[in-house]
Amino acid sequence: MKMDELPENMTMPAASPEIFQQLGTLTRQLHDTLNMLGVLPQLKYTVEDLPDARSRLNYIAQKTEAAAEKVLNLVDTAKADQEHIASETRKLAALITADPVKAVASGAVFNFVQDVETTTHRVDGHLTDIMMAQDFHDLTGQVVAKVVKLANDLESQLVKLLVQAAPPEQAHKVEAALTQNHEELSGPVVNPEGRTDVVSNQGEVDDLLASLGF
Amino acid sequence: MSTPNTDMKFLVVDDFSTMRRIVRGLLKEIGYNNVEEAEDGAVALNMLKNGRFDFVVSDINMPNMNGFDLLKAIKADDKLKALPVLMVTAEARKEDIVLAAQTGAAGYIVKPFTKATLEEKVLKIMQKLTATA
Repeated sequence: MKMDELPENMTMPAASPEIFQQLGTLTRQLHDTLNMLGVLPQLKYTVEDLPDARSRLNYIAQKTEAAAEKVLNLVDTAKADQEHIASETRKLAALITADPVKAVASGAVFNFVQDVETTTHRVDGHLTDIMMAQDFHDLTGQVVAKVVKLANDLESQLVKLLVQAAPPEQAHKVEAALTQNHEELSGPVVNPEGRTDVVSNQGEVDDLLASLGF
Repeated sequence: MSTPNTDMKFLVVDDFSTMRRIVRGLLKEIGYNNVEEAEDGAVALNMLKNGRFDFVVSDINMPNMNGFDLLKAIKADDKLKALPVLMVTAEARKEDIVLAAQTGAAGYIVKPFTKATLEEKVLKIMQKLTATA
């Protein structure tokens, strides 16, 4: 029905304070919603980075596993070389004890010296490879820093979203809850400083168990 | 420190193969050559029920059956309950340590650890078992 179609006996109601109040509330809600929507595009970009973060974490897992395997294999090989030197030393010692002149004349001493030189050179190569295998620390450290930054960005965006979506009088409670209700994740405690619920070394584990009678 | 009983058979339980290899290597260096491995608690329990083992070294966070559940299952089984279980884990929360002790763990080592710590704990546990036997 159009205004000019109102029956003659009807008049427009006067604009009451309640109507202005309702209009103000609606405007406020629209403003808050638009503010909230201002957060969403940033949140969208952050969430789009999550698959990238997943692949980065997979990369870390692969790099660290490969490095550990490489080092363990090299240690096995180096230990075998060490055992070879020890064994040859024992044999030469027996030869020298039995007949020193023969040990030298037969070339056993010279062969042993050459063998030691070759083997120690090989062991040195293994040690160098073990050292080089630690390069994953540098690579994974950089990747970890990027994933941490992404996590921080995501948390920041979600906190903004949650605080803006909450009723104004509840917003401070939401912020307080966010700082208190961090669920404890399984695994190593990376920051034990200042915490009383965790131990930071084996000595504290032993003390705790002793205090319980174990 | 007394000499290890090198005839002992160990079961190392950890979902991380590198860690199993490290623990196995350390046990070998200490003098224990008879070591088998399991990748989680469920596999370990099956191996324990079907074989003879003298000592279990177990992680806590594992898929399928974690270290606590494995420990409970061992202590609930009449044939296995005397088996010493040493927890070797990255979990450093006091409540986990207390829970492990109350559930019947013979010892608790936090990662990272040294060969000396592992050797000391195994020997101490075996000495205690011998003394109470």
